Amino acid sequence: MNEVLFVILRRLRRPLIVLIIAYAVSVWGLVLIPGVDENGNVVRIGFFHALYFISYTATTIGFGELPHTFSDPQRAWTIVCIYLCVVAWAYALGSIFHLSQDQTLRDAVARRRFALRVAALQEPFVLIVGYGQSGIMLARMLDRMGQRMVIVELRAERAARIEIEEFQYPPLFLAADGRLPDVLVDAGVTHRKCVAMVALSGTDDTNQSVAIGGTVLNPSLRIIARVHTQIAQANLESFRNIELINPFQSFANNINLDMGSPERLRVIEWLSGLPGGVRPEPLNLPKGHWVVFGSGSFAEYFVSALGSAGVTSSLVELDARKQGENAALQYQAGVTREMVAAEVRKAVGIVVCTESDALNLATVTRARSINPEVYVVIRQANVANASLIDASMANLRFVKAEVVSHKARQLLTSPLLIRFLKYLDEDSGDMARRTGELLERHVGEKVPFMWVFDCFASYAGLREALAPEVDPPLTIGDLLINPEHPPDRISAVPLLLLRKKKEIPLPAEDMQLLSGDRILFAGQRGEGELQRRFLLEPSPLAYVRTGVEPPRSWLFRHLLQHRDS
Amino acid sequence: MNLEKVIFGFFVIFACTLNFGFFIGEIDNVKVHDAGHLFAAVVVNLIALVMKFGDRTHIGATHLATSMVAMLQLLAASCFWAWQVNINDLAMTGETMSTVVSLSGGALVANLISVILLISETLRQTR
Repeated sequence: MNEVLFVILRRLRRPLIVLIIAYAVSVWGLVLIPGVDENGNVVRIGFFHALYFISYTATTIGFGELPHTFSDPQRAWTIVCIYLCVVAWAYALGSIFHLSQDQTLRDAVARRRFALRVAALQEPFVLIVGYGQSGIMLARMLDRMGQRMVIVELRAERAARIEIEEFQYPPLFLAADGRLPDVLVDAGVTHRKCVAMVALSGTDDTNQSVAIGGTVLNPSLRIIARVHTQIAQANLESFRNIELINPFQSFANNINLDMGSPERLRVIEWLSGLPGGVRPEPLNLPKGHWVVFGSGSFAEYFVSALGSAGVTSSLVELDARKQGENAALQYQAGVTREMVAAEVRKAVGIVVCTESDALNLATVTRARSINPEVYVVIRQANVANASLIDASMANLRFVKAEVVSHKARQLLTSPLLIRFLKYLDEDSGDMARRTGELLERHVGEKVPFMWVFDCFASYAGLREALAPEVDPPLTIGDLLINPEHPPDRISAVPLLLLRKKKEIPLPAEDMQLLSGDRILFAGQRGEGELQRRFLLEPSPLAYVRTGVEPPRSWLFRHLLQHRDS
Repeated sequence: MNLEKVIFGFFVIFACTLNFGFFIGEIDNVKVHDAGHLFAAVVVNLIALVMKFGDRTHIGATHLATSMVAMLQLLAASCFWAWQVNINDLAMTGETMSTVVSLSGGALVANLISVILLISETLRQTR
């Protein structure tokens, strides 16, 4: 409010003073110049009448000469007054209209409205900084899930796209620099309903500033930031609440896993796909010599991933930004076409990951002409170029925005799953195999749905079962009995048990439960709802545990006690 | 020399002196209080008020507040005058005049505070 008011007041200072002076001079003149009434007496106009006359004359309303017909000197002065005041008004109105078109003022008004609307949000919302390709994809996914969003984007034309795109719940948006702390505050970083902030702006530098700004302003807020380089990753890793998405690294990591331990990758992909979808098939990347075309951190991640998978590779520096117009396929100095051709001829696969789709396509075509059998991994730099990349018939495609938005959605909606996947990723034993077997046996081939069961004694359904003297104690296995038909099992697998600070991956089914435990289940659609019945009232749990439906009303409880005793 | 400061100081002090000119004299003596003086005081106070718009410093805000007080008092005084003389059609009496003058006296205090602020601001300025 203040901001806008101050801008208006400051801009209107001069026109207002001009108006005041014009009025004052006119009124003063009228008061000083003597007039004559009907009887020929000299009368002077008082201030009251003079102000009245000038008010309607200056605004060109013109009621006539009041209270008496004017004398000639008064008329002469009136001419001066009319021109003076009408010009002053024209100037003042012009300034006001100019002000209403003023970009600074409009920005200030837009910012103010945005801040007020964010402050008034009653539902939990996610703050997204950066509305590029990944931002757009993430926003669409979250919107489909009914999640409210606030979006901050630096470029006004991109921010304006939010207005024309179709959203179930139109997000609040602002075109401003998210690196500025006051912008973040207006966008709701400190709002109590802000669930998380996702930093997806263009460069690592910006993302670092946004993420650090956010965590400083609100240390308890979850922040998810995209990074591309190891430096940025190292910088941000020291902050407790900042989670990182490194699309290059995670893709390269998947490649590494596929070559090194395909079983583990298969389970990870199986769990992290879109629920209800088909289980992804293993890639079966060929093992042998690989050639990486590209530059920067993506190429580096790739080379090191291939290296740790025990595969030889060579890097051909190819930078889309450094190319001249006619030099679409110039390689690094000292590397000749023949050398590259020789590399490609002996390779089993190539990775083409420059930042230009045209260059990627050209490279793939050339490589295929040398070695038609080669396995092609291609990077699609722009989401809009999907049909171009389709034409390359590449075996595997990397779209940064897809990886980022997918990962961000997962982090936002199932943080426990991410923790479990981390255990899976770091495990050197047979956890992946056990998980795969459990899923196959109890859930099936499809990508499972995930839900978290909160085992809190505050729920009416669990209070009795969690009491300390209950025997036998409540176990995870009890939660897996179908409350509608006890001989059946709920088609779900417990993946992770969270007990205070401790995390237990793949908990055994005879594990005792305590109040405060949270369990991540993976299962078929709808099974989570079935399980939730245990929370609401005690009878389903008692029924599945004892096989007896306990009496619920006061009378029958008393009758039961009477019979027992 | 800063012309803006000169003009600002001029109007602040001028508002005070004009108001003082109207205020001085026996409170209910109709002859010593002139309508023209009051009009001039109103106009100059208005200009001083507008000049203080849009200053976001703390002292600027206090300046604006004192000007608003002065303006309110002077407008009340002139409206009361116009109401009694032009609308109720009464002759100017000592009672009416004493009300007008006491209202303008209140405005004078506000004007004086404005001047004190101006002086203290000037004294604080070190080069």
